[in-house]
Amino acid sequence: MATMPASLLFQDEYAHQILAGIVQMFQLTICAWLAAMALGVLLAMLRMTHKRPLVALVVAYVEYHRNIPMLVQIFIWFFGIPTLLPQTVQVWINQQHSEFIFAVVAIALCSAAYISEDLRSGIRAIPSSQMEASRALGLTYLQAFRKVVLPQALRLALPPLVSNTVLLFKNTSLAMTIGVAELTYVTREIESQTFRTTDIYVVATVIYLSISLMIMAAGAGLQKRYRIQGR
Amino acid sequence: MISFDKINKWYGSYHALCDVSAEVAKGEVVVVCGPSGSGKSTLIRTVNRLEEIQSGKIVFDGQDIHAPRLNLNHFRAGVGFVFQSFNLFPHLSVLDNIMMAPVNVLGTKRSDARAQALALLERVGLGAKANAFPGQLSGGQQQRVAIARALAMKPPAMLFDEPTSALDPEMVGEVLQVMKSLAKDGMTMICVTHEMGFAREVADRVWFMDHGKLVETGSPDSFFTSPQSPRAQKFLSDLRSH
Amino acid sequence: MNDIISIVSENWMLLLVGQYPHGPMGGLVLTLILSVVGLALAFPVSVLLALARISPFPWIRLPATTIVYMVRGVPLIMFIFWVYFFLPLLTGRTVSGTVTMLITLVIYQAAYLSESIRAGIEGLPRGQVEASRALGMSYLGTMSRIVLPQALYNMLPAMVSQFISTIKETSLGYVISVNELTFSANQINAALLTKPFPVFMILAAIYFVLCFTLSQLARRLEARIAGKRAGRQKAHPVPMPTVAHVVTK
Repeated sequence: MATMPASLLFQDEYAHQILAGIVQMFQLTICAWLAAMALGVLLAMLRMTHKRPLVALVVAYVEYHRNIPMLVQIFIWFFGIPTLLPQTVQVWINQQHSEFIFAVVAIALCSAAYISEDLRSGIRAIPSSQMEASRALGLTYLQAFRKVVLPQALRLALPPLVSNTVLLFKNTSLAMTIGVAELTYVTREIESQTFRTTDIYVVATVIYLSISLMIMAAGAGLQKRYRIQGR
Repeated sequence: MISFDKINKWYGSYHALCDVSAEVAKGEVVVVCGPSGSGKSTLIRTVNRLEEIQSGKIVFDGQDIHAPRLNLNHFRAGVGFVFQSFNLFPHLSVLDNIMMAPVNVLGTKRSDARAQALALLERVGLGAKANAFPGQLSGGQQQRVAIARALAMKPPAMLFDEPTSALDPEMVGEVLQVMKSLAKDGMTMICVTHEMGFAREVADRVWFMDHGKLVETGSPDSFFTSPQSPRAQKFLSDLRSH
Repeated sequence: MNDIISIVSENWMLLLVGQYPHGPMGGLVLTLILSVVGLALAFPVSVLLALARISPFPWIRLPATTIVYMVRGVPLIMFIFWVYFFLPLLTGRTVSGTVTMLITLVIYQAAYLSESIRAGIEGLPRGQVEASRALGMSYLGTMSRIVLPQALYNMLPAMVSQFISTIKETSLGYVISVNELTFSANQINAALLTKPFPVFMILAAIYFVLCFTLSQLARRLEARIAGKRAGRQKAHPVPMPTVAHVVTK
């Protein structure tokens, strides 16, 4: 039993397919994660400005992305948005690997909403007395935020951020519905070609599981490394 | 050094400070006491503008603290403030806590700041704890670090907002010790505190507040032995009956 | 905008109930049925899983932990394919997409819900268990009468959140042709061909109204529970300021 899945991997044809699928999965994950983190930080900062229109914008953004299924968001981006763009752009998009780009965009925008909420709750959890003490010493608002509030807030936000990273990673599998040849897509392809369903499913499951666990372990490691001593 | 001229503050319709006027001379130690809710903490928090007043004038070290061109952060750097709940920065070591403001606000060189910080730690009796973190210290130790942190900015005056109220009884003494030595060295101090022993030993004057008004001021001896206003008399007798 | 109105007015039946009555129930109603039944079935499983996770016996704790980690580490879509393939093998007969989806949701939700319940149990102050045991109550009695009722009440907002997640997850039924809301919308899109944006916007709007309303409910529940907790805590005596410290000379 143990040799059967492995034999799949060593058959050139399928090994290449699986590898290509894994690479696509990593590309999706990394691109989406970087974009999501950057956007999430921006959204969190906008939320904290207390300016009504900006706050409303962020709240609307977050609520939209949190209440609509990821799959539907992908469909809107892939099927719906191109029809709104001018003809020339549509043609250009069809010549690129548009499914990859739209998948990254959809996943990144959705995760950014969750990430901004994680950051926001981390910041809110820091008692206002910390800001008060900093200001009493003469630090400016920005200095106090950067050196006192944010370092503590990030430590608090780390567990949900790791959780959302794993979620983002798992969401890349949804890209298969619009034709991105990532791991799940390849899995189904090989299944239909070889009918060795168990083998290929086991391989894919093990890969997903190991990477998820690695992300969680990395998060735990980070948490340990940056733990506030004495707590 | 510090003067309050007809200070008034409202929280909505609640009159927290009513026409408070008083002065603190350089090198003077003033203890502010009174029942809960009398406005004592609010009063000293107006000095570094953690609370804002609606009318009146406060002058600190010759500076009108509400002057329009005042750089607030710069000003606050010159007022030493010690909180009831210490408010140390838990993610920084004791040494970094003390060095943080001189380096980032005054622009002191890190090496100079470090030397000063170590000297201050020695002064408050915690030289050995330079690399510890606040979470590893007792309440009394944390408050002493907080005092050192405020002193690091070399302020001309120090404000203490109930510095020992959050401490276990056996640690109150070590903090009061530091405050007494500061007073002996000639620091101008306003202390909101319930520690009457400290007041009798070190204060030059006692201010008694009730319901937002500065009801009575006097030397510690005269205040404690023969308070003039009935409210002060009641306060002191309530204190003693415990 | 006219597009949206015309699409909705022509296809609202399809979106609401799928092919019914000319076929099995589908559309939004199926989505809701899957979510409610899925969560209802998942709930007892998740309580058992949570208890297993905190069990002092490793032979109970370790398998439970493994199951939870496995379910959390694998994408839902992969999970759906597993169940879709293996359920017929296990039961020996063909299983409809709907039942497959239901089983998948139950297992998936149970794993995630068990984590929330575990957090709720562990978040209860130790004093509760200690007081109960001090009165002589057994472990099971303590669990069922003291710990779980409080933990579950505190976890109500989290459970509403889980319900919202379930509703969103039913959309994945699309990949195995379950006739739920997303599938219906795709059918409409395939029929109209030139109006994908309005169609999917309508789909998004339906999910949004449903999930947003529920999340507001969760928020209100959370505020209520927090208020009750704060009220309970106010009963504790607040220590007097150190007036006892009058050091008289």
